[in-house]
Amino acid sequence: MNSFDYWLPFFPERASTLANHFEALFWYIAITSGTVWLGVYAAIFYFCVRYRRSVSPGPTPRILGSHKLELAWTIVPLFVFLSYFGWGLVVYNYAVHPPEDSMEVFVIGKQWMWKAQYPDGHRVIIGGNPRNMSENERNSIGKLVLPIHRPTRVTITSEDVIHDFGIPAFRSKMDALPGRYTTAWYMPTKLGEYHIFCDQYCGTWHSLMVGKVKVVTGEEFDQWLAGHAPLQGTENAVDGSPASAGQQLFLKLQCINCHSANAQGRAPVLEGLYGQRVPLRGGGGEIADDHYIMESIRRPRAKVADGWEAIMPAYDESQVSAEQLNQLVAYIRSLKKGTTPVSNQRFPAPNGAPTERTTPKASGGGN
Amino acid sequence: MSIAVPTGGAVAAPPPPEPEPLAANYLNNGYSIWSWLFTVDHKRIGILYLVSISVFFALGGLFAALVRTNLLSPTGAILSEDAYNRAFTAHGVLMLFFFLIPAVPGVFGNFFIPMMIGAKDLAFPKLNLASWYVFMIGGACAGWAVLVGGIDTGWTLYPPYSSRASQAAVVPGVLGAFISGFSSIMTGLNIMVTIHKMRAPGMTWGRLPLFAWALYATSLIQLLATPVVAITLVLLMAERMMGIGIFDPSIGGDPVLFQHLFWFYSHPAVYIMILPGMGVVSEILTCFSRKNIFGYTAVAWSSAGIAVVGFLLWAHHMFVAGISFYAAMLFSLLSMLVAVPSAIKMFNWTATLYRGSITFHAPMLLSIGFLVLFTIGGLTGLFLATLGTDIHLHDTYFVVAHFHFVMVGGMVLAYMAAVHFWWPKMTGRMYSDFWSRLASVVIIIGFFFTFIPQFVAGYYGMPRRYPNYPAELQWLNVMSTAGSSVLGLGYLMPAIYLPLSFFTGRRAPANPWSATGLEWQTPSPPHVFNFETTPVVVCGPYEYSLGVDQQGRTLPPPPNETNAEPDAQKEAHGG
Amino acid sequence: MANAHASPVLKHHFEDLGQQHACERLGMWMFLATEILFFGGLFAAYTIYRMLYPHEFEIASSFMNRQIATVNTVFLITSSLTMTLAIRCAKLGDRAGLIRNLILTVALGTAFMVMKGFEYAHEFHENLAPGKMFRTEYEKATKAVAGLAPAAADEYFKADAAKPEHERAHAHWAAELALKNKASADEVVDSGKVQMFLCFYFVMTGIHGIHIVVGLGLILWLVYEAATGGIPPENYSTVEVVSLYWHLVDAIWLFLMPLLYLAGAGMHH
Repeated sequence: MNSFDYWLPFFPERASTLANHFEALFWYIAITSGTVWLGVYAAIFYFCVRYRRSVSPGPTPRILGSHKLELAWTIVPLFVFLSYFGWGLVVYNYAVHPPEDSMEVFVIGKQWMWKAQYPDGHRVIIGGNPRNMSENERNSIGKLVLPIHRPTRVTITSEDVIHDFGIPAFRSKMDALPGRYTTAWYMPTKLGEYHIFCDQYCGTWHSLMVGKVKVVTGEEFDQWLAGHAPLQGTENAVDGSPASAGQQLFLKLQCINCHSANAQGRAPVLEGLYGQRVPLRGGGGEIADDHYIMESIRRPRAKVADGWEAIMPAYDESQVSAEQLNQLVAYIRSLKKGTTPVSNQRFPAPNGAPTERTTPKASGGGN
Repeated sequence: MSIAVPTGGAVAAPPPPEPEPLAANYLNNGYSIWSWLFTVDHKRIGILYLVSISVFFALGGLFAALVRTNLLSPTGAILSEDAYNRAFTAHGVLMLFFFLIPAVPGVFGNFFIPMMIGAKDLAFPKLNLASWYVFMIGGACAGWAVLVGGIDTGWTLYPPYSSRASQAAVVPGVLGAFISGFSSIMTGLNIMVTIHKMRAPGMTWGRLPLFAWALYATSLIQLLATPVVAITLVLLMAERMMGIGIFDPSIGGDPVLFQHLFWFYSHPAVYIMILPGMGVVSEILTCFSRKNIFGYTAVAWSSAGIAVVGFLLWAHHMFVAGISFYAAMLFSLLSMLVAVPSAIKMFNWTATLYRGSITFHAPMLLSIGFLVLFTIGGLTGLFLATLGTDIHLHDTYFVVAHFHFVMVGGMVLAYMAAVHFWWPKMTGRMYSDFWSRLASVVIIIGFFFTFIPQFVAGYYGMPRRYPNYPAELQWLNVMSTAGSSVLGLGYLMPAIYLPLSFFTGRRAPANPWSATGLEWQTPSPPHVFNFETTPVVVCGPYEYSLGVDQQGRTLPPPPNETNAEPDAQKEAHGG
Repeated sequence: MANAHASPVLKHHFEDLGQQHACERLGMWMFLATEILFFGGLFAAYTIYRMLYPHEFEIASSFMNRQIATVNTVFLITSSLTMTLAIRCAKLGDRAGLIRNLILTVALGTAFMVMKGFEYAHEFHENLAPGKMFRTEYEKATKAVAGLAPAAADEYFKADAAKPEHERAHAHWAAELALKNKASADEVVDSGKVQMFLCFYFVMTGIHGIHIVVGLGLILWLVYEAATGGIPPENYSTVEVVSLYWHLVDAIWLFLMPLLYLAGAGMHH
């Protein structure tokens, strides 16, 4: 069902819970300020008519002001504006705090298309100008399919310049920044297809970086998702993102050999590790954040996870540059339950890399 | 405010005799081009600014016409996407940096601040001339950028697009804006020092015309905010030309930092643009309703309040740029605060009309138009300052309509009002009363139809800077373009009848509008050194109800309703 | 105009000399406010990145030449002294003294710029500049010790540093960074963020340097004016006004110097 006919209804489509919040707030502001506005117009109009020169030749009274009036029309507008602020804050708070159980979709903006990846790894290109795309990309142009009445959180980033992922029918938008992640979330309330726009000027085809979101029933969505096999080797990491580069490294450096999906293997499973508290050998614990992961790669002996042997070798700047380190972190961040890749024989180990062994190479000096 | 004249109304004493038209005034004090290009007379410099910003306005308007024409079709009627991007960028850069910011301070601030306070010139006349040259050099740079194909980054120049991805002549364009900023600083500095130190005897702060208060507040912002954008543009040019990547994410830089630094200037900049216009409106409303301003202190201090609070709001342009929840909350709250002084002014202006004696000459029509249109612009700003609504309305045509209402419906109208109000003083000629009133009405109506549809389009989510848009929004765009043709016609009219006044307009008396300001106590056009003797101020501005000017002398009869010359003055001129 | 004869220095649009001087002084203070805001933007940006990347900024700062900076600080502070003495000479009508002090100021300012020139030249020679120069030098160092254990890498760089200057393969900073990023080092250092510090270093000192040069030009103009009798004791405000500018440039250096050169002062080097 196409929500846009040529003849627009008076109100634009509302297709999410946020849209309903928006409309209530918008019309509150419009009506309250509109009333004052019309009142001022009425006063101006009346004064211009009633006191025009021909009926009010003067001399005019020497009126300098009125403290009472000044106070009144300072305090009252201030409180009205504060009410706008307060209600606006409530709506904004709603808009920027996704519920815990949201489905997470990664959205990457790049000149001039959007790439979305679902939790099972299924990828789709949303909109964009077909003239800008490779053959593969053109064949996978689709829509952002979302289930109705279920919350979805989008984690957005950009590969190049600043973009903005905006869906007017949801009354939502959020900038896509290179090198950072931002989030937005939706609870769709109406079936149909709605526009997606890029809402931050990004170059020549900024206006063609548009697509559609398609809201379907829950069952339809589950079927749709299940009906597509996740593409091999790309679980959870959209091509071009730092996380996907990190996944390549994870395989290439043979991390997968120890950090497999096997909980009885040589090293902890890394799925869902990010953000968890890790108990450490020797007592205490630490939250597995970016710094922890980086340190674990550079100096693994510093903090060993409780219950594991200190056998992980260290990777210095010559083996893993700072940029690659960031990519590995991004990948491990994105690693969700059940998504550890299968060890892939396509990548032979580089010289000097640890392979399947239990003792570290001699690395001179304790950590 | 104190007053040393006995109350008793306009019939107490006859008005002083009409000053003889000067054999030697500032206009005929040398006719050579060098006497103009090397002048240090603030009045001539004001005229230099008038001519140059009119050219920039016309250029900016031309690009606007290209943009609006292209938007007639949902897939772009006349331009490629690339050309369209360059057109709207040129429109923004020219209109903002080369018209709106210098317009009233450069033309009317330069010309009239010294006269209003009873001084012979601004504090630094040579600096004043330098400011015009710097402005022109900046304009030449930006013009060069346009000629070599334009820049396509939008006037907001966000990296990484502007620092890395854009193929256009970004550096010359940015350099042009950077250089013109120095002109802005020089003018602001000059005006502030002048108002501080060169007021005539008796001209206390409480007796300053509100135009002077407004320009003082504007100059404060120009002085303090412009340097920040200067350094920001330097950093952008450094990144683009030399790879010094302060905003480059790959070495830990943050493109959002650019936005913070940029908007730290660009938000106060919009107050640089509007405050002078508000000052003009205060002058005109009082004169044409023959009444004192209602709440002088409130209006004066609200200008200062807007200037100060305006520095604290910049990130309301960045609510969805990835700033923290708490930052967003803070900036939204502060943005609500700045709306209060503007509201105060609106109410005070409206109350000034109460029990006045109003005529509707062109300056007054334009000022009333300002009241009407600026209200809409200001109120729609509230939707954008409110967090919950801004998410949807950000970067849509709602924002475009909002800022055009305040800047065009507000500031350009006020600028036109200033031109019409002070034209007789500057040129010594009256323009056609009929055509000026008609043009005012055409401008207001054309403006309305251009920008009201854009509010609707933005509410529906049409993004800005889009040459391609959903077909169902076409009717709104067509209506907007139709309105813009009417608006363009309205601007064309003064471009004809104003120069024509040099040939067919009757000679202007010293005080055709019977205004109270010191600038009207001189012949039209004024003497080179403004005043024969230093004026002595005995009362506040706007004593229309008492019928006296600021020197305590009786005012001439005001112009009557149907034409601009009262019978008494007509007889004095022999018809 | 009668005034002109009484006081040739009074400009035509002022009522009296008092008003003229008051305007000149107020104008210069306002201009200084703009300069503070101009550098303020830079300082704000630097502060933000320093708070985000304290470790990298400390390390990068430790690569800067503190000796030259100290000498330069002494030059600038002394030049502010000579500038103030110049005002005093002008007030007293001591033209020779005025010119002498102005020339001294110029000399000290020039010495500052010369030292800065040496500093920049050395840094460029070492490839300690953001962008390609930094990257190539750094990669050269990391590649050289790629397969080595930290102790061996340390030996290698020490040996390289011991060679005569024209034979050294690596800049000392590149060696230090490469060593830090070996497994046994304290913490990971992101070389990109070290580059970020260098961006600020060059932009901040560069813009400051431009302001010094402009100041030198103004002071030279004062010398000319003084020599041709344009600075009588009743109208020395031009000297005052230029000295205000010069003091501000000096003051900015006093903030710049610790931020850029002393941020890593606690580190071994």
